[in-house]
Amino acid sequence: MQELGTLLAACLSEIARCDSLKRVETLRNAILGKNGKITQVIEKLREMEPDQRRRVGSEINSIKDNVIKALDQRRCELESAEISERLVSEFVDASRPARPRSFGKIHPLTKVSEEIADIMSSYGFVLADGEDIETEYFNFTALNMPEHHPARAMHDTFYLQIAAGECGRRLLRTHTSPIQIHAMLANTPPYRFFSIGRVYRNDCDATHTPMFNQVEGLMVDEKVGFGHLKWLMTDFLKKFFGVKHLSLRLRPSFFPFTEPSAEVDVNYDIVNGKMVFGTGDRWLEVAGCGVVHPNVLRNGNVDTLRYQGIAFAFGIDRLTSLKYGISDLREYFESNERWRNTYGFCHVTV
Amino acid sequence: MRFSFNWLRRHLVTSFSLRQVADRLTAIGLEVENLQDPAEIFKKFKLVRIDSVEKHPNADTLNVCIVRDDDGATMRIVCGAKNVRVGLKSVLAMPGAVVPASGEVLKRSKIRGIESEGMMCSPAELALSAEKNGIVDVGDDVDLSTPVGDALGYDGGIIDVSVTPNRGDCLSVKGIARDLAASGVGSFIEAKKIVVDSAFKFPLKIDCDRSEACEQYAPVLAFRVIRNIRNGESPEWVRSLLQSAGMKSISAVVDLANWFMLDSGRPLHIYDLGKINGGLSVRFAKNQEKFVDLKGATHELRDDMLVCADSRSTLCLMGVMGSAEAACDENTTDILLESALFDPVFVSKTGSFLNLISDSRSMFERGVDRSFCVPGLETITRLILDHCGGEASAVMVVGDEPEPKPSVTLRREKLLAVGCGEVDWNMAKAILANLGLIEISSDEDKITCAVPSWRSDIALEEDLIEEILRIVGYDQIPSQRIENVAVGTDKILSEKKLVTAAMRLLASCGLSEVVTYSFMNGEHAEVFSEDNALINLINPISVDLDVLRPSLIPNLLLTAKRSLNYGRSGVEICESGNVFQGDGKQELHISGLRAGLAHERNWLQKTRSVDVFDVKSDLLALLEYFGVKSKNVLMEFPAPSYYHPSRSGALVLGRRKFGYFGELHPKINKIFGMGEKVVCFELLCSSLLYSKSARNSYASKVFPKINRDFSFVFDAKVAIGNVVAAVYKLDQRISNVDVFDCYSVSELQNSLGIAVVLEVADRTLTEDEAAEVSDKIIAHVASVGGELRTK
Repeated sequence: MQELGTLLAACLSEIARCDSLKRVETLRNAILGKNGKITQVIEKLREMEPDQRRRVGSEINSIKDNVIKALDQRRCELESAEISERLVSEFVDASRPARPRSFGKIHPLTKVSEEIADIMSSYGFVLADGEDIETEYFNFTALNMPEHHPARAMHDTFYLQIAAGECGRRLLRTHTSPIQIHAMLANTPPYRFFSIGRVYRNDCDATHTPMFNQVEGLMVDEKVGFGHLKWLMTDFLKKFFGVKHLSLRLRPSFFPFTEPSAEVDVNYDIVNGKMVFGTGDRWLEVAGCGVVHPNVLRNGNVDTLRYQGIAFAFGIDRLTSLKYGISDLREYFESNERWRNTYGFCHVTV
Repeated sequence: MRFSFNWLRRHLVTSFSLRQVADRLTAIGLEVENLQDPAEIFKKFKLVRIDSVEKHPNADTLNVCIVRDDDGATMRIVCGAKNVRVGLKSVLAMPGAVVPASGEVLKRSKIRGIESEGMMCSPAELALSAEKNGIVDVGDDVDLSTPVGDALGYDGGIIDVSVTPNRGDCLSVKGIARDLAASGVGSFIEAKKIVVDSAFKFPLKIDCDRSEACEQYAPVLAFRVIRNIRNGESPEWVRSLLQSAGMKSISAVVDLANWFMLDSGRPLHIYDLGKINGGLSVRFAKNQEKFVDLKGATHELRDDMLVCADSRSTLCLMGVMGSAEAACDENTTDILLESALFDPVFVSKTGSFLNLISDSRSMFERGVDRSFCVPGLETITRLILDHCGGEASAVMVVGDEPEPKPSVTLRREKLLAVGCGEVDWNMAKAILANLGLIEISSDEDKITCAVPSWRSDIALEEDLIEEILRIVGYDQIPSQRIENVAVGTDKILSEKKLVTAAMRLLASCGLSEVVTYSFMNGEHAEVFSEDNALINLINPISVDLDVLRPSLIPNLLLTAKRSLNYGRSGVEICESGNVFQGDGKQELHISGLRAGLAHERNWLQKTRSVDVFDVKSDLLALLEYFGVKSKNVLMEFPAPSYYHPSRSGALVLGRRKFGYFGELHPKINKIFGMGEKVVCFELLCSSLLYSKSARNSYASKVFPKINRDFSFVFDAKVAIGNVVAAVYKLDQRISNVDVFDCYSVSELQNSLGIAVVLEVADRTLTEDEAAEVSDKIIAHVASVGGELRTK
């Protein structure tokens, strides 16, 4: 039995000395193969007495188990060493630059139009749209700006070389207000509309571009007046600028399509060279608004004895400038590389 | 409308300060655009007298002056002006003063070793005029205690009001004073009624056309002759007030008339009687009649313009401008005064057609006081007689003052509805009265008023509401919450969001969104018009922006060019917007453009230029987003002519072309001076906004697919994409077709390798079925000229 005692130790020591997977397999054969050491011992069992056979058998089985375990373990060790070695040789410098993937930016006007639409929708205003090319009737006359009224001259209008029709000459709309008329004619009050779009005036300097964008709101209902307009302007501007407090100053003014009319100023302060809205006692004009003129309502087929309307308009480009600190309006439409990268918005911003 | 505070106080007794008045003006709708308050501007300035002048020891061109102020304090000032002399009285800026012209704060400083305790100012430094050689000379007889502003003609302060087009009455100091008084800023001083006794009969024969049209143009015309005047310099107070209004002094009668116009809102015209040949006639102009205006410009008139002419020439374009020919000068002794009422529309038509701008025109356009023709003529006569001497003729009046405007009734209920709350009824009535609206009748529910002759803008109930609310103050109107209402689907907003999301999608593909003008250069537009009519602007802002764009590509191209010039090796941009053609049709497009290198040089990718398949991929991404199945899309050729004829294509859905893509035609690169290769696409998206296609039904159980690869050889002219699309549609059991290989075998032949997947949702396909579909594919390809390659 002495023999069995050294057999395990001898095997284990041989296993430990194996330095390759191949040797492990060779050894496995030498121990457990047909003529293997352990196999030979097992062969001898047949010649033993049942008692001895049982005792030696159990012992040899345990040795065999241990040897198999040791072989497998050694195999594992050698395999993982081999993998490690291979992985080291597969070295890639992950600090190198990534495969380039470029994303474009979203224009600030698009972003702000979305912001405005969300706010207007929250009051139950529905988007209405119109065409850039309008007629004198819808751009002026229907909005209570008769021919030769000085107010028409205030809009430096681009006229188009398209034959005039029964609605007068064709022109590029000078404001989004003609959409009001189209929307009124196509619907029955009460209603709330807003519209967003390009408008055109023959004017160009640092604060004027021949094309700019407006948002316009119109609400017609049985009981709606100047007080509602004040609330709407205040709430809208607070939401737009994202401030809790904002003071509004409504100054009497003149627009042919509203009466009374007001220009809307908001308070601001200059903090570290930047405009901050809702604090301070400086005023900045941001919008025009008023109670819709009865002539305009009539041109929209609204019963003026029953209904009143309120309306307002903002220059989106200007609001964008104020909110995001963009100085020269002309750059909006040049959209140069550096400008895009500075003021553009990430495409997944919500 | 620019005037001084002291001028205003000729019509208004008030204890309000300049700033309080200015704030009030803005609050009642007369927006103060600019306020020059001398007390603020000249806080650290004083009047001083130069007591002594000595040469600066260290500088030839400088002097060291000792100046003395009103309190007797002396200061040492270094000054380089040539006009310094003992006894000269001038304006001294002291340390801390803000120099009006530059906005700089003056500091105490040493000039060439000698400390100067202030700075003597030039008119330029004080922003009075461009004069910068020499310091201000306020005159030796000016008392040093005089406020600096007054010595410099600020006259209590300068107010510049922006008058809205409805308020013709506020184009005068009198009108502004009246509005202020109505709002509680002091009391309005009614002018004394003046009648000048005539010394002789009206001596001139004036032949006035009294046809209906002419009566409409000029309902009232009043004339008077004044003889034997001395037309020298106008009185100091007139010059000073005109200066405050920013007007040049010309001669006594002209200055007086100009001052009177700004003071009272009554435009006048003065003819030099000595320069009139024979009698005058007031008539419509003849077509193409020549008229030389006051500034010497010649105009061709139309027969709807009213003129005053003598036997030789046209002397006045009535209501707009006089001629140089009968203008008054220093030798004028006899004058003819004209004070008339002209119709706003006629004057506006005349002025805008000839592009002539004048104070007279803007007053008549906005409406003048229709009852003030003759009273105004009397007042100006008095002024001229007082300052220039002479004797006045009787007044000749042609026509009658028009009927007063109809009275206006205001219902209290309407006032409360618009004002959203309790506006005190008695206060409302008082405001109307203060504004000159004369009550005809009133009770608890309504008031009816006569409109004063100077308020041609008031005609409706709403006009009265506005008057009341602006005087009450918009800040007094309570804010009222708007309750939200349920809205159904907002179809137009959904569409707009769809387009915005499409731009976000393109941005995720690397294209940056830009916004370009809707107009462009007409010559450039020609090459993008595809023979459709372009829409020209009649009055473009420049030749580069004289046509509405027929495509988004050209303006994108200009933007790309700027980016490349800025040093980028590649550009990727996109835009959504309308394009215009023909008789005014607009269509929504989404376009993208890539130019130059497809990506920045990097260590992982081979540098390459952009190609057609870059933009095709952008376009297909959009199609997928809009729910268009690419297997339903066919390609057609050619794309529009501004694309490279053999590297472009049009996408067709059903029978409609809805998109183009490709390389830009080299001729376009040449026109735009673009060196790099440009590829672009256009999606005519208005029709796609509704085409979100239905989702396929989902089957959770999956049956095995069968994959079959085919290799074909084609004539090089066959559009591979369309063959693939057609194979896709050959059989319901084909669930996918991929092109795994595509290359040219020779100049005449292309090789195509496609991988076809066969699959049905509810069972496993049999080999027989697969063979059947394969045969179908091979047969179809053969029918379009493709031959199966044998291995």
